[in-house]
Amino acid sequence: MNPVSTEMSVRVTDVTVSYPNGNVALRAASFALEGGTICALVGVNGSGKSTLFKAIMGLLKPAAGTVTIAGRPVKAALKANLVAYVPQSEEVDWSFPVSVWDVVLMGRYGYMNFMRTPRAEDRRIAEESLARVGMLEFRERQIGELSGGQRKRVFLARALAQCGRVILLDEPFTGVDVNTETAIIALLRELRATGHIILVSTHNLGSVPEFCDHVVLINRTVLAAGPIAEVFTEENLQRTFGGVLRHFRFDESTVQNHDGRAVTLLTDDERPLVFGKGGHVEYSKRAEHTEILKKRTESEGDD
Amino acid sequence: MIETLLTPLQYDYMLKAIFVSGVIGGVCAFLSCFITLKGWSLMGDALSHSVVPGVAVAFYAGWPFAAGAFVTGLLAAVGMGFVKANTRLREDAVIGVVFTAFFALGLLLISLYPSQVDLRSIVFGNILGISNADIVQVLIISGGTLVVLGFKWRDLLLFCFDPNQARALGLNTTVLHFTLLTLLSATAVAALQTVGACLVVAMLVTPGATAYLLTDRFGKMIGIATSMGVGTSIVGAYASYFFDGSTGGCIVTLQSALFVAALVFAPKHGLIGQRARRRAAASGVGATEVAT
Repeated sequence: MNPVSTEMSVRVTDVTVSYPNGNVALRAASFALEGGTICALVGVNGSGKSTLFKAIMGLLKPAAGTVTIAGRPVKAALKANLVAYVPQSEEVDWSFPVSVWDVVLMGRYGYMNFMRTPRAEDRRIAEESLARVGMLEFRERQIGELSGGQRKRVFLARALAQCGRVILLDEPFTGVDVNTETAIIALLRELRATGHIILVSTHNLGSVPEFCDHVVLINRTVLAAGPIAEVFTEENLQRTFGGVLRHFRFDESTVQNHDGRAVTLLTDDERPLVFGKGGHVEYSKRAEHTEILKKRTESEGDD
Repeated sequence: MIETLLTPLQYDYMLKAIFVSGVIGGVCAFLSCFITLKGWSLMGDALSHSVVPGVAVAFYAGWPFAAGAFVTGLLAAVGMGFVKANTRLREDAVIGVVFTAFFALGLLLISLYPSQVDLRSIVFGNILGISNADIVQVLIISGGTLVVLGFKWRDLLLFCFDPNQARALGLNTTVLHFTLLTLLSATAVAALQTVGACLVVAMLVTPGATAYLLTDRFGKMIGIATSMGVGTSIVGAYASYFFDGSTGGCIVTLQSALFVAALVFAPKHGLIGQRARRRAAASGVGATEVAT
């Protein structure tokens, strides 16, 4: 590892966050990341993923425990422009009257003077960042005039322009086309190579092993954290998702009768839709389903 | 004819009224861009009503009216923040309860000592009778607001657009929040003089809302809103001489007329433009070049 990478670190130690109504969103969460890491933050909705993000960004003050970034408290780390953040698309007001260029320049505010007048240096870095995500030609567009993938790239460019060493991405692949997803992953790998820490909140389980090297599994606390090979196991995932994540048992379905025809599997983060070789809908447990069908036909016959 | 048109300008009080209205109209309109984008229109309405008890107290105590107004305005803002943070009530209910409480208290105070304060001039404004001392106060408030907005508009814009990013950059969002609240209360106090407590919110929302329909760029939005604010206030104050009608009513009616015009005719976000685009999209001709 290069010398820069060893300097950067994110340490979350025994962090407990509770809301004014008394709900404890996160209890005694601990994990640590070193520079040159892409880490996935995985958990169901309401598991405390965004709470943890907010604690790392200093938006929420932990009731107990500490967060340090490069050995400093969060507030000092923010002042030093160490933390950049790419929001979820739903959080952004896309009709806001700002252009792509305005948004990217916002990433440079921390380096600008009292009035936030951009210097030549700020413009150069903002331009570079836009070019890096392939959005330079769109700089004059109002942000609402962009496609989902383009929007995501603009906010990624803003994070790049900020030159943060820790980059937080909240659901970066939601509403994004495959090309953008590939481009984002390639960019994150480049950043990892230069010693950044990338923390990605996602429910896109399939893509986690493809581009992350670490994972933090979370459900109201950190259940497990560490390198993918050790932590991203079936047992741990079952603990994280409980009964929420349904899986498709190929061995109990008709899929097993291989005859060279294709099976199509469509899935969002909940339940997969599987089309069999003849184009018919497959069920995860064929035997059970046939049983149900049989019963239904019988009861109809009684009428 | 020309002589008739120039008549209002021969009166000192008309000149003062036109000038002060123009200044207030411009400052309010500038601020209205932030208010509409932040979604604080209702907050503006609330604060403009909450300053009333402060004005009443200031009159009795012999303070500058702005000082009293400002204190109760901020008290109301803090009160709303407190109630919202500590109850399960939704924001609109909190705003509704708190500002009417302040306004009612103001009405009560004024009615107890009717000879000293004129209720009508607080609720409906009295720009034609504005005193020189009040003009000075209005000018100080306007100047202060313009200086703060001039220096900090980029921070405030980011705060309106993406407060989380502002935090991540190490900006103090609590200070920005209270800066915007303070500016809102201060301009509400100034505008009270021109159009009265009831119509202040129009000055603080309509220009920004109109400009937002006409452009997708913040710089242009400020330009359009401010010119509209200054223009309608000057013309409204001037025209009210001929109608012998309420100055505030005149100004706000003009602003509303411009808003309706923008609503219908705005090239991109107006009703006609939207309909044309929908039709074009449906027929497949000239479908938008942008994928969403």
